[in-house]
Amino acid sequence: MGTEETGMRLDRQSLLKLAAVAGGAGLVAGRAGIADAMRAAVWAETGRLQVLDWAGYGNDGGQAMFAQYVQQHPANKPQFTYMTNESDALAKIHAGQKPDIFRPYVGWVKYFATSGLVQPWDPSLIPNFKHLNPFMVKAGQYGGKQYGIPADWGFDAILYRTDKVTPKAKSWGLLFDDRYKGRIAWFDDLEMITIAGLYLGFKDPWNQTSAQLNQSKNFLISKKKNVRLTWSSETNLWEAFGSGDIWIAYAWPNDWVQMKKKKLPVVYMRPKEKPISWVGMFMLLEGSPRTQLAHDYVNAWSSTKSAKWLEDNYGYGEANTVARPSSSDLLHALQLTNPRAVAEPNAHLDRDIPQRALYARYWEEVKAS
Amino acid sequence: MFFVLPIVIVALYSFNVYSLFPGPHGFTFDAWRSFVHNHIYIRLFWKSVKMSLIVSAIIVALAYPLAYYLALSGTKRKYILLLLLIAPFLTSYLLRVLAWKVILGDQGVINSFLFWTGLRSPEHPLSQLLYSRFAVMLVLGYIWLPFVALPIFVSLESLDKRLLEAASDLGASRLRAFWAVTLPLSLPGVIAAFFFVFIPTLGEFVTPSLVGGTTGYMYGNQIVDLFGAGFPDWETGSVLALFLIIVVAVLTIVFSRFLQPQQVATD
Repeated sequence: MGTEETGMRLDRQSLLKLAAVAGGAGLVAGRAGIADAMRAAVWAETGRLQVLDWAGYGNDGGQAMFAQYVQQHPANKPQFTYMTNESDALAKIHAGQKPDIFRPYVGWVKYFATSGLVQPWDPSLIPNFKHLNPFMVKAGQYGGKQYGIPADWGFDAILYRTDKVTPKAKSWGLLFDDRYKGRIAWFDDLEMITIAGLYLGFKDPWNQTSAQLNQSKNFLISKKKNVRLTWSSETNLWEAFGSGDIWIAYAWPNDWVQMKKKKLPVVYMRPKEKPISWVGMFMLLEGSPRTQLAHDYVNAWSSTKSAKWLEDNYGYGEANTVARPSSSDLLHALQLTNPRAVAEPNAHLDRDIPQRALYARYWEEVKAS
Repeated sequence: MFFVLPIVIVALYSFNVYSLFPGPHGFTFDAWRSFVHNHIYIRLFWKSVKMSLIVSAIIVALAYPLAYYLALSGTKRKYILLLLLIAPFLTSYLLRVLAWKVILGDQGVINSFLFWTGLRSPEHPLSQLLYSRFAVMLVLGYIWLPFVALPIFVSLESLDKRLLEAASDLGASRLRAFWAVTLPLSLPGVIAAFFFVFIPTLGEFVTPSLVGGTTGYMYGNQIVDLFGAGFPDWETGSVLALFLIIVVAVLTIVFSRFLQPQQVATD
């Protein structure tokens, strides 16, 4: 690690050489030449690329997703720290952590774009950008600028064991079903307030009135007795679900894939109130000293090869529309041929919550009660 | 310096003098006021106090005979036995907590045994064993047992054995000697041991987050969530953390006189 870092460090002499090369190229070839020289100057960015990402997307199994980047910059492998959700990342960044890239989801685009913490990307530096789903690309924009580069996408829905559970209806209600007391797992996130609102039939679960918020909170508190676990990391869920301690869970498509791998009889149910869909959005931190490397990293994630790998192995969709998974089951389940699979009328695309702090407080109260 | 300064910083966060988010902020009691008025946090604190009290009391009661045997039975192997008691603590804390998951789960060691003996049917395992308040208390007790046994052992070891001989010479039965001599003189060790466990378990968050599920959620988890995993609310988080520090500090001061053996011995 140490040698790699020193390998990237520039002395004054080579910096001058680099400037001369860039200048010379400019004289000879004009603007395009400068751009090329700038691209060549990537190695001038020192220090390892710092990525703040979710578990499973770093050196803990997600290596295939950024293999192209590692090939391109063997001396500057990314260094990972992990986030459990966007709030966690927000606290870490405010507390002084300085990642170059991190990955909030689509509901947070507006929040981060207006927070002053991130800067827009330059899509022209991402050759694979042209393959990305235009609907998702648009969802990553704010004020006409590309703050988020869409990557993985999928749904929040319900996973259950068919040998133990008979749902009364295809509904989010299964997460609250009194018949399965002690067998249910929720997700440890303020999104549970939104889901409660969705189930209770509120008009806009992402922007509930204070009466509705209270109703959602009290509803969750009244149903908490049925819940054995609120999971915050997938491994946590897999362990509890895989060992038979949990039969019903709020889950992501990857959890369904993993439980099927364990030969458990499971169904990933699409509730009639519709699942909530999400799109991972790579964001570039304001003041990042490694923007070129960051663009290359995101380009690697956007490649068709990476996208197919993600679909095959994690059961998530990828914004790259050229990629197709090997299994037709998965193709069907994720509706990968439908470019608007994450949008209405198919699913509710996760969105900005204007009163996010209040939602969070209510969710904390649910857990503490 | 290294102790006080961080606490002062936390206090400044709790009064919104410091704020995680840039933008206008100033001195305010808001977070303290809502903490006092919001019974949820106080109730959660009380729940954690009860859990810690039960854990501390039970393991002190369990550790005392153990320490008594090691210190006073005169066995030559006492240091080997002591080493055996401490041996599990050479492995990682997390590993030991996770091992309990294997033991307590629905398909775990205990339930499998119950199925095998026919005491429970596989359809109805004892599911209160894991992801429950019980699981948290059991694992905490296990983790902290040696920390309780050691201070009691030390206080019994340093006991002047001639006092016991004198008691016996004066016609006291062994039980009476225990009540009148051994127990009072080892009390400082017992109380120290009690607080050795009570204070850290009160703010515990790792064990409950691993084996506690929804019912084993403790005050420490709430602090962690307020600082990070939930939408960051450092103001309220700092209030909760400070409240914990204050309670622990008061308890420490009140009982610190019990922690000074010489003073008690001369009383």
